Amino acid sequence: MSAHISIPMYQRAVPQRYRLTGKLCKSCGKINFPPKAVCKYCLQGASFEDVRLSGRGAVYSYTVIAGGGAPPEFETEARCKGSYPVLIVELEEGPRVITQMVNPPEEGIAIGMSVQAVFRKIYEEEGVIRYGFKFSPA
Amino acid sequence: MTKSIISCGVYLPYLRIKRDEYLSALGRCSAGMREKTVLDIDEDVITMAVEASRVALAGIDVSRVGVVTVASTGFPYQEKAQAGTLVEALGLEKNVLTAQHSNSTVSGTESLLTALSLLDQTEQPYALVVVSDAPVSGPDVDLEHGFGAAACAFVLAKDEPGLVFEGVYAQSGEAMGLRYRLPGETDIRDIGVKTFAMLDYNETVKGAVTGLANKLGRNLTDYRHVVLHQADAKSATALAKKMGCTDEQIKEGVVYPYTGDTGACSSLLGLCRVLESACAGDCILISSHGSGSGSQALSFCLETPVPKSVVFEAVLGYKRYISYIQYLKQKRSI
Repeated sequence: MSAHISIPMYQRAVPQRYRLTGKLCKSCGKINFPPKAVCKYCLQGASFEDVRLSGRGAVYSYTVIAGGGAPPEFETEARCKGSYPVLIVELEEGPRVITQMVNPPEEGIAIGMSVQAVFRKIYEEEGVIRYGFKFSPA
Repeated sequence: MTKSIISCGVYLPYLRIKRDEYLSALGRCSAGMREKTVLDIDEDVITMAVEASRVALAGIDVSRVGVVTVASTGFPYQEKAQAGTLVEALGLEKNVLTAQHSNSTVSGTESLLTALSLLDQTEQPYALVVVSDAPVSGPDVDLEHGFGAAACAFVLAKDEPGLVFEGVYAQSGEAMGLRYRLPGETDIRDIGVKTFAMLDYNETVKGAVTGLANKLGRNLTDYRHVVLHQADAKSATALAKKMGCTDEQIKEGVVYPYTGDTGACSSLLGLCRVLESACAGDCILISSHGSGSGSQALSFCLETPVPKSVVFEAVLGYKRYISYIQYLKQKRSI
């Protein structure tokens, strides 16, 4: 079973998925991404300011998902490519995000390598394309 | 009021296939490119459009963009206001005036002309024009061999120095059976008579180009660059030479050998390339073509060089070659 995300739920996350809009906590000044109802750092702040993140970051960790390990929504991609890399990226502004990597370098992925957010199709469900960010080598 | 292009951006997919791959897999290739761009499995014209726009908008206050026009022959949805996806992805104001052009490879210049007009209807100083295209057909169709993918974006401004728009001249007429697509189909068809297609291309594009030169009281020799629509390897260069253009005027705007047929992008992609070497005072003429048929020739004069966010040659050089089998997988043909 895929981790089904309904269209309204995906729609609500469009600012973060399409242009990396984070939430700056007005209590502690840290950026929450993805946005939270209560700041995950100070556990108190519930008032935020929208901040557009740069999309620049570095590889914090990574793994490679083999064809058989892909969830159904990424099955087409896995079938086409055989496998695909997934990263944890530490963004310039601090937050860490889980993301797929595009155009991985032939010499391999390295911890600490610079990456940049790109706009891609994440998957398609119910005939509706779900766009969002992935990361490519910077 | 003058209207100028003050910035441009180009996006080419990372994947490429060489013509040699066609030759070794099929024994022939009906297109004359050296290599061509290939969409990755998670790319479409909208993702390319966003990337090209981000390059063009670098350093520009996006809240001052009042118009967005977007063009492609193959949007991912047949019905949907797809400029909205760009508005969200780029963080533009939600009250921008939008226009979407499709159904023909002439839609690229149409969207530029629409943006020039819509600029009069907004108080904001900037308009964004995005042309993104990736023509599609089945691997058994000859036309498909040349089909590439690319996006280019331009920021137009009111009364700012840049590449000043001078004028347009158009040609339209009936031409049946040439490169068409029926409702509900994804594959492009063609009756496959190259001579017939060439005659139509020559007549339509020549009509637009010479009409524009006459309208502006210029000779073609007055233009430093002449960039014509490139749906194959030879037609554009052959026609430009027939009209009296020199190699110097033609060569820098030729992008087909590196990208293949990029549909609505074609001449606009060539424009992005020539802008890198153009100097103040240079005049540039571009002409689109759409089968069916129509052509629009546009004249520009460079007042101040357009800033380069990304060097075109670097975009051409960022690539990875794939085999013909992998290419078929990317296209989901196998």
